[in-house]
Amino acid sequence: MKLAIDETRCKGCNLCIKVCPYKIFKEGKRPNRRGIVVPELDRPERCANCRLQHLYGRRLCGVCELTCPDQAIHWIEEQPYEPMKVAIEY
Amino acid sequence: MTFEDWFRTDRLPHIYCAGCGNGTIINCTLSAVDQMGWKKDDTVFVSGIGCSSRAPGYIVTDSLHTTHGRALAFATGVKLANPVLNVVVFTGDGDLAAIGGNHFIHACRRNIDLTVVCMNNQIYGMTGGQGSPTTPWGCLSTTTPYGCAEPAFDLCELAIAAGANYVARWTSYHVKELEKAVKAGLETPGFSFIEAMTQCPTNFGRRNKFKQVADQVEYIKTHALLRAKRDRMIEQGEKVPDDFFVIGELMRRKRPAMGVKV
Ligand SMILES: Cc1ncc(C[n+]2csc(CCOP(=O)(O)OP(=O)(O)O)c2C)c(N)n1
Ligand code: SF4
Ligand code: SF4
Ligand code: SF4
Ligand SMILES: [Mg+2]
Repeated sequence: MKLAIDETRCKGCNLCIKVCPYKIFKEGKRPNRRGIVVPELDRPERCANCRLQHLYGRRLCGVCELTCPDQAIHWIEEQPYEPMKVAIEY
Repeated sequence: MTFEDWFRTDRLPHIYCAGCGNGTIINCTLSAVDQMGWKKDDTVFVSGIGCSSRAPGYIVTDSLHTTHGRALAFATGVKLANPVLNVVVFTGDGDLAAIGGNHFIHACRRNIDLTVVCMNNQIYGMTGGQGSPTTPWGCLSTTTPYGCAEPAFDLCELAIAAGANYVARWTSYHVKELEKAVKAGLETPGFSFIEAMTQCPTNFGRRNKFKQVADQVEYIKTHALLRAKRDRMIEQGEKVPDDFFVIGELMRRKRPAMGVKV
């Protein structure tokens, strides 16, 4: 699973930055085509849901998804054989 | 299934301002509804007028977007005419407690089998930021330019006193708890009232020194007092600060209810 922000919905409120326990979202730098500064993802492979959703068979954490007032945060399936980073938490 | 399936995605993005907490409350409510395993054809969303009350317009099920303050009157009609339907009401503090105040207490008294989610942003958001019955003491709005000089309504206490079977209060920060509370409300026969304290950055935050959306959410988070902690403070004779509000499940009981599916 891969974390993604839907740029057509995000309004740049930065609430996802506030709520993620892993601090995966960080403030964006440049406005997009709609004039909205969409947050950037910092090593999203650390997200609990990205790593463990398939193992547990249910949504884990998901606080950013529930909090996002604009329904802009989703998880998408990786393509077959898509190169993946492996996050190791110490 | 996820709560995303309940949205009319062709209508998104919605009209709410950036950072408006209403979107969060809708997510939590739909997530709870989704977990109930209800059919979309058997579920009805009802609302009055206000930013909060626009919520049903973004949901795929049948819905009623009624007149200001009358959501509960319409919902009562729907539920009593056809108790098989699952009826969920979205409302705002102005809609529920100001113009709709009488419908609120009588729906609680009759204990009609509805689940009411009130998005309390402590302001009339849609009409440009007039003070509402829940605007806290000292807060600025267009109708209280020197600070609100009236005590605010405690909607949960009101619902408890009037007879609701389930009453809880959470905030737009406590998303998981809010989701669970709405689910508990949906499961409870009789009137369930869930108050969700939320931010209105445009009309409340802007006038009350919250420069960023996150600042107001932080304020809400730090001024929410868990019920158990409040009880402990009272037990130990400590004073609960005036600007704090209680969160948690505040009532669960089994008074006789109307409109319950048999
Ligand atoms: C009978 C009637 N009176 C007044 C209005 C104007 N009006 C529209 S929305 C609103 C207040 C809504 O406040 P609230 O329920 O708190 O919703 P919010 O926008 O804050 O979510 C008012 C007074 C109206 N539409 N109809
Ligand atoms: S919470 Fe949603 S709308 Fe707000 S910045 Fe994050 S992705 Fe965008
Ligand atoms: S699901 Fe949780 S850990 Fe993953 S990005 Fe969202 S808030 Fe962060
Ligand atoms: S005016 Fe306030 S309540 Fe209405 S959409 Fe904007 S932020 Fe939300
Ligand atoms: Mg309001």
